[in-house]
Amino acid sequence: MITYRNVHKAFDKPVLSGVSFTVESGEMFALFGPSGTGKSVLLKTTIGLVVPDRGDVEVDGMSVYHGGRSAVDDVRRKSGYVFQHAALFDSLNVYENVAMGIPEDELASLPKRDTAHRVWDVLENVNLDPHEVMAKIPSELSGGMKKRVGIARAIVGRPKILLWDEPTTGLDPINTAAIERLIHRLSTELEVTSILVTHDVEGGLQMCHRVAMLEGGTLRFIGTPAEFRSCPDPVVRAFVDRAAAEAALDMVTESR
Amino acid sequence: MERKLVVAFSLPLQVIRPFAGFGRAAQVTVEHSGALGLLAWQTLVAIVRGRVRYRDVLQQTYIMGIQSLPIVFVTASLAGIVTSQQGGYQIVSTSPRYLLGTLVVQSIVLELGPLLTAIVLVGRIGARITAELGTMVVSEQIDAFKSLGRDPVSVLGAPRIIAGLITMPLLVGFADVVGIAAGIIAANLDAGLGTETFLYGARLFWHNWDLFYGFSKAVVFGFIIPLISVHMGLRTAGGAEGVGLTTTNAVMFMILTLLILDAMFPPLLLQ
Ligand SMILES: Nc1ncnc2c1ncn2[C@@H]1O[C@H](COP(=O)(O)OP(=O)(O)O)[C@@H](O)[C@H]1O
Ligand SMILES: [Mg+2]
Repeated sequence: MITYRNVHKAFDKPVLSGVSFTVESGEMFALFGPSGTGKSVLLKTTIGLVVPDRGDVEVDGMSVYHGGRSAVDDVRRKSGYVFQHAALFDSLNVYENVAMGIPEDELASLPKRDTAHRVWDVLENVNLDPHEVMAKIPSELSGGMKKRVGIARAIVGRPKILLWDEPTTGLDPINTAAIERLIHRLSTELEVTSILVTHDVEGGLQMCHRVAMLEGGTLRFIGTPAEFRSCPDPVVRAFVDRAAAEAALDMVTESR
Repeated sequence: MERKLVVAFSLPLQVIRPFAGFGRAAQVTVEHSGALGLLAWQTLVAIVRGRVRYRDVLQQTYIMGIQSLPIVFVTASLAGIVTSQQGGYQIVSTSPRYLLGTLVVQSIVLELGPLLTAIVLVGRIGARITAELGTMVVSEQIDAFKSLGRDPVSVLGAPRIIAGLITMPLLVGFADVVGIAAGIIAANLDAGLGTETFLYGARLFWHNWDLFYGFSKAVVFGFIIPLISVHMGLRTAGGAEGVGLTTTNAVMFMILTLLILDAMFPPLLLQ
């Protein structure tokens, strides 16, 4: 269970101004919102990559920001984070990238063969051919492959929480569908709690138990996909259909 | 009339304005020193806890050391040659000619060897580290590092700082030898000064302390260059443009720090 409690964060200007909600254990939760509203910032506060100015995040009842250094380490160990542009280490090959996902102390005590097995399995699990990609460096991979390696790296440490930052943005429709199927399968198979930040509203609505909309520093909507579809709020409507988007253009904050 | 007055009154301001930068610079310096101290401390902790991988240090030492040899060779020879020629020009008629040996060796060992090598390393290593880590920040690789429970300072920062500490004294030793050799050759060709006479002059005023002095500089510079570049690299923000800006700032910061530290050595160690 992940609870955001009144999370505030400002950089040059306020980005998050009091975000509160709870994601239940095992739930798949989608977060929508216009670009630049702080979806990534919010996701990063979950594991201490961005520290809130005010407020707190609780994971399984434990405070991330009032439990000292070890609380942050704990939540990082529990979580897998899929970065928007994959964020693969460009000096390491695919094998080494994925192996980095195994916690440091575990990796040190794991026999080389077991590590190789685990990397192999997880690459197969994200529909990559281990033979083909293992020795490649990130710059030799296509966009879709990079994302898959990023996902492999996030799940190889057997997380209980998966945080997905726009895993399908910038992909062609076929890859988008494939990655979404993958997200859905992994989230159920691995029995994890997932928070999915995405612009693919239809995909999010189909996969997730609940969805929320971040806009203007707070949650503008939170509820089930059915509620989302029938919500009268024009900004929400804009995300449901393209025609409404034009109409709502003037209503959202100028922050693009 | 009014306009003229305005111009007249604003003139002092125009003169002062560039210096207003000093106040801000002082503030920035204080902020940075704190962060640099913390980084040095974290590096020490990482070493003591055995979290720094020996292989990474070796790799960085290779990049900083072996790969810098050609450029250090060139700068050190030029330094030796120029000192020798200019010294020869000044000394020839007025003083004993063996003083040229003294001048070249002292200049190289005390000042030019450490400082020129350090400035070369700022360009070759400092800028590289800053840009490398800066790119990792803006492409979220540093975030990825942290999300996987790794500590960027132990894994990325410490090996570079340790490698700088190891490499710099070795490079300075190399630069000293090359610079002095080039000085001898130049003295020979230019002023017709024999190697024997040159070395006689060098030995006459030699103190072992000088070598220690030169190498103390090397150690301090070898520590401060990667320390500043790691620090600056990790606090990069704002995309590709940010990387460029941070790298430029880091280079300025390193060169200024080197010159200031260099100026602090004589009062501290040459009494
Ligand atoms: N490290 C940072 N430093 C300064 N500003 C930042 C930083 N991270 C994010 N921001 C700003 O916060 C806002 C929200 O960013 P982000 O969370 O990436 O938006 P998105 O909803 O598209 O993921 C943007 O205006 C961005 O410029
Ligand atoms: Mg984002």
